[in-house]
Formats: sequence, structure tokens, C-alpha cells
Amino acid sequence: MTNPPPLRQDPSRPHPIVALRDDLREMIQELVQYRELLLTMTRRDLLLRYKQTIMGFGWSILMPVTYMIVFSLIFTRVVKLETGAPYPIYAYAGLLPWNFFASSLRFAVGSLTSNSTLVTKVYFPREILPFSIILVSLVDFAVGAIVLAGLMAWYGVGLHWTVLLLPVVVLVQILFTAGVTLLLAMGNLFFRDVKYLLEILITLWMFATSVVYPVDRIGGQLGGLLGLNPMTPIIEAYRAILLHGTLPAAGPFAWAAAVSVVLLAVSWLAFHRAEFRFAENI
Amino acid sequence: MGDGLIRLEGVWKKFRRGERHDSLRDLIPALGRSLLRRQPEGDLGRQEFWALQDVSFVVEPGEALGIIGPNGAGKSTVLKILIRLLRPTHGRALLRGRVGSLIEIGGSLHPDLTGRENIFLQGSIMGMRRAEIARRFDAIVEFSGLGDFIDTPVKRFSSGMHARLGFSVAAHLETDVLIIDEVLAVGDAAFQRKAFDRMKEMVSRGVPAVIVSHQLERIASLCNSAILLVQGRVACEGAPAECIGAYARQQSAPAAAEEPTDGLRLDAIAIAGPQPVPSGGRIEAVVSGEAPPARQGLRHIVGVRVRSLQTGDVVFATGTLSHRLELPAGPFDLAVELQMNVPPGIYAVETTSGPWRRDRDGRSGPATLVHVDGGQGFSGPVQLNCAMRVAPRDGAGEKSRV
Repeated sequence: MTNPPPLRQDPSRPHPIVALRDDLREMIQELVQYRELLLTMTRRDLLLRYKQTIMGFGWSILMPVTYMIVFSLIFTRVVKLETGAPYPIYAYAGLLPWNFFASSLRFAVGSLTSNSTLVTKVYFPREILPFSIILVSLVDFAVGAIVLAGLMAWYGVGLHWTVLLLPVVVLVQILFTAGVTLLLAMGNLFFRDVKYLLEILITLWMFATSVVYPVDRIGGQLGGLLGLNPMTPIIEAYRAILLHGTLPAAGPFAWAAAVSVVLLAVSWLAFHRAEFRFAENI
Repeated sequence: MGDGLIRLEGVWKKFRRGERHDSLRDLIPALGRSLLRRQPEGDLGRQEFWALQDVSFVVEPGEALGIIGPNGAGKSTVLKILIRLLRPTHGRALLRGRVGSLIEIGGSLHPDLTGRENIFLQGSIMGMRRAEIARRFDAIVEFSGLGDFIDTPVKRFSSGMHARLGFSVAAHLETDVLIIDEVLAVGDAAFQRKAFDRMKEMVSRGVPAVIVSHQLERIASLCNSAILLVQGRVACEGAPAECIGAYARQQSAPAAAEEPTDGLRLDAIAIAGPQPVPSGGRIEAVVSGEAPPARQGLRHIVGVRVRSLQTGDVVFATGTLSHRLELPAGPFDLAVELQMNVPPGIYAVETTSGPWRRDRDGRSGPATLVHVDGGQGFSGPVQLNCAMRVAPRDGAGEKSRV
């Protein structure tokens, strides 16, 4: 016998709706079951960084601070830019969440391939790997926020009640980041080109987002296209609640939140369904 | 505990030879091809082959199944399907309960973390809670025998220490199901003994286990059933002794054609009395079967072989012909008395049946195992029943005084 028997109606292949429900239940169950692994992995990565580098968490501040200085020189000395807040604080309030997003993407893209010994030898929900990277970047984000607090004190920007909305904004950003990282990590496992494409993508994306300048100055068709980018409303929301004491612009922020939720749901499901092919394709 | 279950139902697994396209450059032509011609799942592509073909088994609580076979037979693929690392192309795999899998253990230890940190990492990868690991921490360290090295980064460990740490964590999991790959060969002899005893204890507590090993003796003494995989197919299934015998035969003379049946049937072989038997002790095996009426010019014979599982070699073989025995027509019991003049170890007592021919062994029949342990100490392949006496030589003492 060199071929399997012809495919009967396979009882293990249920109706798509039932399969969807079962998959969603399994995804949630596994994440609950393995929540401690998520924390242990995060702790591992933080511990490794702390052990292997002299600066430790200093590195998480260095990147946004350097960018802030460079762009401050450009946009206060070379070209004057009207931003509604002192430019360095405007830039840093954009660079800090952007750095959270970008470094999550950068490290998560290789999270499956660099842990190939784990992926080929032990079963656990693989989304733990990119998710723990996001948590590590979140710690960096919190450390970097100390600098933001310092800048706010220096420029005399007071806190408003709107700061209470911070967890909501962070949550939306995490959801969006999670959706993107799952796709990237999975994509890079099957095609190693993804890692290289990502560098270009991140650079382009940064300038398509209101990180160091308001992109709504770009009008026309391109401006309309850039308006779809969910990262701009997220970053503008940080500025609104932290620097201006206003609510985030409802329409764009709701759009960003909706995109984040849908993207995460779709990419997580795709990730979960492709998971069993990881070990043999890595 | 005790409600774990392992089941594989008609599993087929397809693999691809050679390089897989993992860059976009290769993907685009590949996508084009697959769009033009959809390949049914049951067919093999040019570079594809079946790594497993129609493999099924059930392991109930308290049972241990050993999987043996040559390299590349698909043993590890079976285990990887069981622990959900791979999905079968056809068929189903079912595992009920929490899985303790020991597949190339130690491979998931992180070199830059200390032993202590790795215990927590490894434990949580296997699904243990932090508090649970903390509770067992001391036991794990003690079992591993690492002592003060526990706070040293794993990259400074010797490979033996590495493996011992990996096994110790896995051995302290509270599992419902055990999946073990070649970890019986971990560490030095003393640790191997300890690891083996630990697994034996888990199986006796009712944890169903699937074990892959090339150490046939270990399979023989740990498992109560076995399958022999050859090129992805189940070539033999049944008692460990039968599969081990089939494996040994397959390795020494692969692909011997099946003898035509001639009506002689062997049903079972049983050894009475306690085991292990001391070296030089006697055993009696009873082979039961049924012989057809005698015909002119055709003699039915039953062969008996004893095979060492350490070496895989036949150490002794005989048959009813050499003993001038005629088998009666109808059901019979053949008593075979053997004196185990062999060194301690595990031996398979195999049977063969068929018409006598000079160049053939006949069909293989049932087999069983004998443990030989203790008795007069000696080394070498044969017990020669040595007797020793010593006496002072006459006058030797006086001469030396002169």
C-alpha cells in the first residue's frame, strides 16, 4: 500500500462556523493555561538584556531621545514647525509610542525563527513568543515615559484628568501591535524576506504617521490615504490626553480601535490555524 | 491521574525531500504551479514521500508502548504528531491529559540563564505553574545532582549536566501521559539507572507512556507492548520480545520473503517460574500450537532461538528436528527446557515454524523474554560452569626457607 485510502467524509473536519468557535475557544483556553509562560518568557528576555548589556534599560531611552534631539534641531532651527506644544515634547510624545510599536515589530519578526529549538521540540501556543516581545517593549515604553514626565515638568506641561484614558490608548496600541506582530512572525517563518522588508516598511510607516510632524499637513489624495493609517490617531491620542488635556478625536480613534480589533482577530486566527505547520517549515 | 490516553488512528504523514522554498523568489513560481494544477492530498508530489503509512495504536493507563526501528523509520515523527508539533496528513492523533514530553530534552534550555532560571523556564514551557515549580524545586535540583552548580549559567555546563537538568525538570512534572524519545541515554550509568527507575515508577502509577529508544533492553523491561517501524510502516506489533526479535532479524537479514503457510501454527510461548533467573539457572518454556496431519516427505519442525538483546545476536538455536521429535497432529504443547548459561541481561526466546529446509529459518512465531540476573559472577559470552579449588602445594613452604 503506497497511498492512503480515499478521503472519506472526514469527521474531524467540522462545519466552518463550528470550527471557528472551537478555534476561538482553544485560543483563549491556551492563553489562559499558558499565561505564566508568557510572563516567564517576558522575564527571561528582560533578564537576558539586563545580564548581557551594560546599559540595560538605558537603551530603551536612548533611541527616542536621540531622535528627539535630531528632529528638534531640524524642525526648530532649519524649518519652523507649528505643533501646538514645545517641539521637543511634541516629538518625544510621538517617538515614545512609535518606538514601542517599531521595536515590538523589529524583535517579534524573528521571535519564532530565533527560538527554533523550542518551536521544533515542545508544544505551547506559539503566539506566546511574539506576545512576550510586546510585553518586553511595554516595559521599555514605561521606562521611556520617565523621560516624558521629565520633559513635561521642564516645559511646565501639567497633567489633566484625561490622563486617566491612558490605559485605553495603550490597550488599543497593544491590540494593533499584536495583530501586526503575529502576521510578521508567521510570515518570516515561511519567508525570511519578511525581516528585510520590515526595515523599509518601518521607516516608511514612521514618516506616514504623525510621529515627528503632523501628517495631516499632507493634503490631497496621499493625505486621504494616510488618514487610514491607524497609528496616527493612536499617537495623536497620546498627545491629546497627555499634552493638551483634550479627548482623542472620536472618529479617527474609533477607526483605529476597530481596525486593531479586527486585525488582531483575523491574524490570530490565521496564526493559530497555521501553527501546526511551524515545526516542519521553520 | 490515571485517565490519560494515547491513541493514533490510521495516521499518514507526508514529507518533502530536499529544499523547501522559503524565500519569495522561490514562492512565486511555486504558487503559479500550484494554481495551475491542484494536487490531491492523497497523492505524492515529485519530491514527496510518506514518512508514516497507516500507523495506529492505543495506549491505555498503566501501559507502556515501545517504538523501535532503524534510523529514519519514522519513530520521532510519531512522537511529534502525538505532542501536536506535527499534524498528520491523514488520520487522527488523540492525547488525553497533560503531556510530559521528553523529546531531546535539554534542547530548550537557554544557555545564558542559570540552572535555577532554566528550571522555571523549562517548567513553564511544559505547562507547570510557577508555584508548582517552586514547590518541586528542591526535588528537581536533588534529582539532577547539580548541587551548587544550579546558579551557574547553563552554557558552562557539561553536556551531561545539561541533559540531567533537562530530564530532572521533566521527571517532576505531574503528567497524565508520557512521551519519551531516546532520553534513556542521558548522563552517566548511575543517572541512567535513576532516570529509568523514575520512568518505571511513573508507568506503574498508571501513566500511559510511549517510548522510543535504541536501547532494546530498556524497551523490553519498561514496555508491555511494542511496535517495530520500518520505513514508516508498522512491520511488527505485539509483545516487546516479538518486535525486538523481528527488528534484530530485519537488521541481520532484511526483507526475508514470507514463508508459505503449511498448516503448522504456533500460538503462544510462556515461561513458568519466577524471574529473573540466575545465570546458569534452568527455565522451562512451553510452546503451544497446532500441527497438521503428517504427510510423506514433509516434516514439520518448531525451532527455538535465544537472542541477546544487548547485542541482538542469536546465542543459541535448536529445533525439534535436532531433538528427533515428531509433532503430533492436532493441538500440542511443546516443553523446552533451557539452562541459561549466559551472562546477566535480557534474552528473547523466539520460535520459528515450518517445513525443514537447510537454508531457511522458517516463519517466526511467538516470542517471550527471560531476565537473567545474579548467579555465579563471570564475564564473557558463555557460562562454562567453572569450578575452582585451591590448596597449598606439599613442601612448598619448607623449600622457600632454604
